[in-house]
Amino acid sequence: MTPRIPDKSVTAQGNYAGSVSRFLAYAIDLFASSAVYTLVLAAISYVVQIVSGKQVSWNRQDIVVVVTYVAWEFFYFGYSWAVSGRTFGMAVLGVRVVRADGAVAEPWRGVVRSLVFPLSFLLLGLGFLGILVQRERRALHDLIAGTAVIYAWDARAARLRFLAREAETARIPPGG
Amino acid sequence: MNAHRRITDPVEGMAQRVAERVVDLVLNAVDLNAIIKRVDLNAVLAQVDVNALLAQVDVTALLEKVDLNSVLAQVDVSALLDQVDINGLLAKIDVDALVRQTDLGAVIARSSGGVATEALDAARSQAVGLDQTVDRWVQGALRRKRPAPSAPRALLDGEDTPPAPPSDAPAAPEPDAPAAPEPDAPAAQPSEPPAREAMK
Repeated sequence: MTPRIPDKSVTAQGNYAGSVSRFLAYAIDLFASSAVYTLVLAAISYVVQIVSGKQVSWNRQDIVVVVTYVAWEFFYFGYSWAVSGRTFGMAVLGVRVVRADGAVAEPWRGVVRSLVFPLSFLLLGLGFLGILVQRERRALHDLIAGTAVIYAWDARAARLRFLAREAETARIPPGG
Repeated sequence: MNAHRRITDPVEGMAQRVAERVVDLVLNAVDLNAIIKRVDLNAVLAQVDVNALLAQVDVTALLEKVDLNSVLAQVDVSALLDQVDINGLLAKIDVDALVRQTDLGAVIARSSGGVATEALDAARSQAVGLDQTVDRWVQGALRRKRPAPSAPRALLDGEDTPPAPPSDAPAAPEPDAPAAPEPDAPAAQPSEPPAREAMK
């Protein structure tokens, strides 16, 4: 079954991204960054075991693990937003960070955005409410960093691919 | 007989000379331009069977005499193209029908994307649909009088440089040419005009 790509996906490009896309992008990022962090820890354990012969085990309550994890998350999000305006999860969902007026966001905004991002969590998650109720769908960290999130995927090409697949399927004779 | 000719020949010659002289005098005295101006050419042309006239013309022979290359060499193609509204022309092309009904669709289907691309297209499209559903609920609950802006100012008005185009950035949708709704897709939100300069 070929997935349908409606016109609304095409016309939505450049518009403020909605809550579902942003949440899914964040979930993918959280999973990807945690997976990479875990793999790195596993690699370190393996190397230490090979070199010293000692078994190294990481504990979630270990302050070193917590600090390095938090630092890694800041780096993962801050670097991605500063360099390209999108993280891996945002690239998958086709959304990107721009300046509040729609122009390309300066790298420092990406860094600031990642630094103030936890604030949206710390206020009982109320910081994220802006994505739903704020007129420009900007969360607290967006307001502080002067950024916004928009749809930026090639929906037009996706729609053409969908139409092409549909036409191709229609041309294939039954049982052929 | 000879006597008769001796009289008539000089008279005829004289009459000829007199007639020529009279015609010269009359033509010099008459303003032909003024007369032509008074002629109703339309009435004259109405009596002419142009089709019958053209039927007698051998167009092929006529064109063989014309050096089309030299004629075309004198044509300023750039000036000609400047007068053509290419964007308007392209806007009239039904790309969807083009892809559906021509081999272009097969070329696109074979050259672009695999299962992963297909899944990604579907996931993104589904997410956009869910976003719009959630947004409709929230807007309905908030009962806003003024519709919220659909896109940042620079992307709506084209006042500023749009974001750096990603490799898969789409072309800007036309604001005054809303796309036709899908048969099974929910109606587009009238309060949300599409971004004009989005992601060129």
